[in-house]
Amino acid sequence: MQHGARRMKNMRARPTNVAREPAIASANFEELMARTPAVEKNLNPGEKRQVSFAQVLVFELRVRNAMTSPPITALPTDTMRSIQHLMKAHRISGVPILANEVLVGIVSIEDIINALDGGYINDPVEKRMSRKIVTLRDHFSLVRAVAEFDRHGYGRFPVLDANNRLVGIITRGDVTTCLMHHLERRAEEAIAKEAALAAVRAADEKAPRIVINADVKSGDFESAGKLSQRMREVLRARGVVPDIRRRAAIIAYEAETNIIIHSLGGHITATIDAKKVRIKAVDNGPGIENIELAMQEGWSTAGPLARELGFGAGMGLPNIKRCADKFSIQSELGIGTQLQATVFLQKAEVTL
Amino acid sequence: MKLKSANKLPSALAAAEATPLTELTGIELTGGYISDLLSDVLANAQPGVLWVTIHTHRNILSVASMKDIAAILFTCGRKPETAIIAEAVEKGILLLSTPLSTYETAGKLWKAGLR
Repeated sequence: MQHGARRMKNMRARPTNVAREPAIASANFEELMARTPAVEKNLNPGEKRQVSFAQVLVFELRVRNAMTSPPITALPTDTMRSIQHLMKAHRISGVPILANEVLVGIVSIEDIINALDGGYINDPVEKRMSRKIVTLRDHFSLVRAVAEFDRHGYGRFPVLDANNRLVGIITRGDVTTCLMHHLERRAEEAIAKEAALAAVRAADEKAPRIVINADVKSGDFESAGKLSQRMREVLRARGVVPDIRRRAAIIAYEAETNIIIHSLGGHITATIDAKKVRIKAVDNGPGIENIELAMQEGWSTAGPLARELGFGAGMGLPNIKRCADKFSIQSELGIGTQLQATVFLQKAEVTL
Repeated sequence: MKLKSANKLPSALAAAEATPLTELTGIELTGGYISDLLSDVLANAQPGVLWVTIHTHRNILSVASMKDIAAILFTCGRKPETAIIAEAVEKGILLLSTPLSTYETAGKLWKAGLR
């Protein structure tokens, strides 16, 4: 049974007929709980706990989120007949009885049927109401409310606040409706977020490809890092996360200084598109005699000037390889060296 | 320990006899790193550290800004050219110099709580 009229005020978005079908709502609730998997036990460390939205909600939501408030009440001096009319008018199944704002009893639809049956429908309420009342607090979780419904078998509970004031009434149907309403809202939010992310991705796809070029002269230590810096600025403007920016910059810088230190001069190109940055460094020789050795950390053929400036650690190529998602190097003595490294871009999370 | 404010920072730097070459503004250091090999700094230094080195060539600024290094301390009394100091100001990198050796500098910074 439901408090249809009242509920409509709280749940404006829901069509009237849904809230007026308590039997269906109730069935949905049982079904929902049955399908909701229990929290897995005996998980291995690090294993992800699968907790459904419904489970989270039922713990997060409070009785005050689901109850009908304010409740429709009556006085002890009212007749059972007037309660019957109240129930009919508001489509409710239980009416709390207040004397001087204090909850003193409750009349349920079963009490009314018994009154009709026993011929005392015109008696005052105080003679016939149930005085044994189980109440819930408005701060109780819905999971506790469900447990109380199961424990007592009542169709409804009056809800009291911390000051023992009657602030609402809650039925099983209220719990279901509240849960459904929140699930629906979360689903709508998820759909909206997904759409926003898709829009961001679509904008990314259209991001123009940017190519940064630089000639690199042999021995030009003063210019080292210029291309790397320009590339970093583009990546920052595109919202690439700092760690990825740094990796791409290190590759470009090491590739640049390699050409400065070791080659007769060359050219470096950074191509940035929506998904990756590709750095290509080509020099005009003399070529690397033994690539395997050059890839070894600590092995360097740098001259005294380069070493004086802090280069020649023998870490350049290993650094590039470590920072790259894809890496290749070819070299031919007397011709030159060609290096290619790719870093896949990662954008900062879009928070909505 | 992190030295989070300009108030605490000078005491650690004073212990290492470091004088600022650029204005000592509110800065947060996450630790320190010592190396005179640029590739090593690129590979291993953490962002936000104080980099202790003997190098004063402008390459250090490229490396520092690439790794988001907050400050560079030159040891053995070394100081970079004025143009490099100006570039550091532009890049927001704090420069300092100490007459102490790198070894002594490290010991004093560590003792003062920069870890």
